[in-house]
Amino acid sequence: MERGVTDQPPPPLLAISGLTKRFGPSTVLDNVSFAIPYNKVVGLVGENGAGKSTLLNLISGMLRQDSGEMFLHGKKYEPNGYKAACQLGIGRAFQEQALILNVPVYENLMLGHEERFLLAGVFLNRKAMIATAERMIREAGIDVDVRRAVGDYDVSRRQAIEIVRACLVPFYLTGVEHPVILLDEPTSALAKDHEAAFSRMVDRVKAAGAVLFVSHRLSEVLALCDLIHVLKDGRLVATVAASETNEIGLHGLMVGRERVSDYYHETSQGEVGQNPAFLEVRALSRPGMYRDVSFDIKRGEIVGMGGLLGSGKSALAKGIVGLEPPVSGTVKLVGQVASKPEIRRLIGEGIAYVPPERLTEGLIAQFRLPWNVSMASGYDLFSTRWGRWLAAKEEAVAAEYIEKLSIKSGTVRITCDQLSGGNQQKVILARWLCRNPKLLVLDNPTRGIDVGAKEEIYHLIRSLTEGGMSVLLITDELLELIGLSNRIIVMQFGEVVAELAAPAEAKPSEHDVVALMLPSTKNSAEHSRN
Amino acid sequence: MLSEINKDRRTLKSGFRPDRTLWLPLGVVLGLLVFFSFTSGTFATVRNFTIISAQASTLLIVCTGATFVVLMGSIDLSVGAIVLLVGAVCVKVENGTGMGGSIVLVGVVLGAFLGLCNGVIFAHGMVPSFVVTLGTLSIFSGLALQILQGRAITFNSDALDAIAIGEWLPPLQNIALCAIIVWGAGVLIAQHTRFGRYTYLIGGGEPVARNSGIPVRRYKVYAFILSGLVAGFGGVLAVARLGAAGPTLGQDLLLNSLAAIVVGGTSLSGGVGGPDRTLLGVLIITILDNGLNLLGVSSYPQLVIKGSVVIAAVLISQNRREILLIK
Repeated sequence: MERGVTDQPPPPLLAISGLTKRFGPSTVLDNVSFAIPYNKVVGLVGENGAGKSTLLNLISGMLRQDSGEMFLHGKKYEPNGYKAACQLGIGRAFQEQALILNVPVYENLMLGHEERFLLAGVFLNRKAMIATAERMIREAGIDVDVRRAVGDYDVSRRQAIEIVRACLVPFYLTGVEHPVILLDEPTSALAKDHEAAFSRMVDRVKAAGAVLFVSHRLSEVLALCDLIHVLKDGRLVATVAASETNEIGLHGLMVGRERVSDYYHETSQGEVGQNPAFLEVRALSRPGMYRDVSFDIKRGEIVGMGGLLGSGKSALAKGIVGLEPPVSGTVKLVGQVASKPEIRRLIGEGIAYVPPERLTEGLIAQFRLPWNVSMASGYDLFSTRWGRWLAAKEEAVAAEYIEKLSIKSGTVRITCDQLSGGNQQKVILARWLCRNPKLLVLDNPTRGIDVGAKEEIYHLIRSLTEGGMSVLLITDELLELIGLSNRIIVMQFGEVVAELAAPAEAKPSEHDVVALMLPSTKNSAEHSRN
Repeated sequence: MLSEINKDRRTLKSGFRPDRTLWLPLGVVLGLLVFFSFTSGTFATVRNFTIISAQASTLLIVCTGATFVVLMGSIDLSVGAIVLLVGAVCVKVENGTGMGGSIVLVGVVLGAFLGLCNGVIFAHGMVPSFVVTLGTLSIFSGLALQILQGRAITFNSDALDAIAIGEWLPPLQNIALCAIIVWGAGVLIAQHTRFGRYTYLIGGGEPVARNSGIPVRRYKVYAFILSGLVAGFGGVLAVARLGAAGPTLGQDLLLNSLAAIVVGGTSLSGGVGGPDRTLLGVLIITILDNGLNLLGVSSYPQLVIKGSVVIAAVLISQNRREILLIK
């Protein structure tokens, strides 16, 4: 390092250079480089799975990169854990709120810094802790008693506490002059009356150091940030000044792919105009999740359901299949009676549900493939009335679907943890297809699987609907939503806000759909107050 | 394309992984047999093996039931207390009515009822099974000691003597025969019934099971009923063998049952293992007890040795991947 060379610009506050991180076979971050200058608010946007969280984990010392390096104030920065990162001036407000609910606010604020308040090296000086905490809360200007447990406060106030901790710890505790504060979706849980406190915190940090702001709310990113970095599939695809773009432009950069109609087999998308309704959902409500949702799905139809994170679409899917039953409303499958959904009855009537999280909700990876296939049919197809398990039939059916869905396992004698994500997803589909269901409810069926497997699953979904099955497709992938669906339902804050036809010859554009998913400012203010 | 094929071949090969959780307990059993045969003159005799099989019987019966609970990812600390309470009640009833062999039925029904209590509080009250069965452990023991007034109560019944210490298949005592039958039934249930499969599924991934429409809560209750029922049967046989019910009945079962299940290879995090494995665990614990006694090791060092063997067995048989799974 050549110090004292005057014609070189001063180094940025935080510079990252060529960061790469792999988890197993998948590259989550691929050679990402960017800088966070002094006294700026920098935005970081990207789709789910673009690598934002991994990047934050690297910066905050919670993960170690496979290659690449980071520089803080021009000095090499290699934090060994979050605590070490904190000492160097990194702070982070966690999306999922890293607060301990049954512990007072002041202890949460000082979490990990208790050694600064020791009396005689052993006892905690609670008085000093409380005094410091009170000064922090006063500066933030939120209405919180630091002696009460965090759990006594609502989600919005907890989020405010989380933000205050991230932003003010450098000033009050670690005494770092130029902090870098990472805010991960800080406003998603924040009510209107805490927004002033939030912007005070951001301004305070900006004056001394810099803020890295991660959010799905593009309007906020545009309003708050000076500079925006866009991540896509683990790569940095663009860095734009906030003044030079808008929401639609930003979204274009995040998605940044051409929609190829072949990929989604749009030509084999059938007409469903006269078909009978296979599913009738009526006035489904679950307070805090979704409200008064009604729609139909016709025979052979794919209905796509889109919406931002927190729009309630996944909760609605669990409600429709009866896993987390709604408080009111009914579901009716063709030929059955309309009634409150209940998972076991609906499975019997012909519903199937593929959850979004393959490894925690979808299959038991350490179990053998046939066990994962037979799981939903243990009570009828694979056991006798007296409860004897029909193992031979189980193996035969598994073998049949290995063949039908071309699951690359070679044999039934294999545990599912030896399969790739795409093949695991096919195993889950086989579990339901062997029941010959009328309706498939798929929540993000292609999340985290490779391109080839995606196409196979798209092809499978198409051929199933050609055979008369109906599909409710909940997805965060915009192109998949548009490409596969006959009809698209858009949700915001738990309500259906739009329904648009997506016939093969006249697919709606991404812009149209995004515009419907984004809340207008009036709307969002109203809802965040609720 | 070629790399794809190679990948498949690799997965195919690794489909048969050597299972440390099976051969290690087996090795320990054989090792103990060899060790005690050489160090103790009386160990490797028909008479001693008859004693071992009788000693192992109650433990094997109780463990067979409790394994289902552990397999499901829960824990049943109350099996020893169920044995004690069922034993106490059965002795009282027998002395009062002289009903003979059919007392077995009373014990089984009472045990199932106690298991039902555990299961309902656990599954419907959403109380962790550790806490529920820790509580009922105390309740059942307290009730039993109240019934016994803290003393051992003896009884005389030819029918019960015949059931427990008669020898239909000499030199095996009937209690050992019963234990083997119960264990065999347990293995069949685990491997060839819907209940058995659901037990594995719930232990391996409860949210996955729920998403597939498996009535998780109901099957949790079933597992506790089975555990209680089998423990009840074990309780009747235990008092039949001893000819009395005393305050210390079933006392060592709490630790020994969990030790045997875990050493056998059933993971406390659920979904891995089974009653078939538990037989090995029971043999390890019993042979260790018996052999150390024959060697004249006093009971306090015995506890130390037994505890060390349990920890060592689990430590060695786990691989790193599974350690991550333990909650």
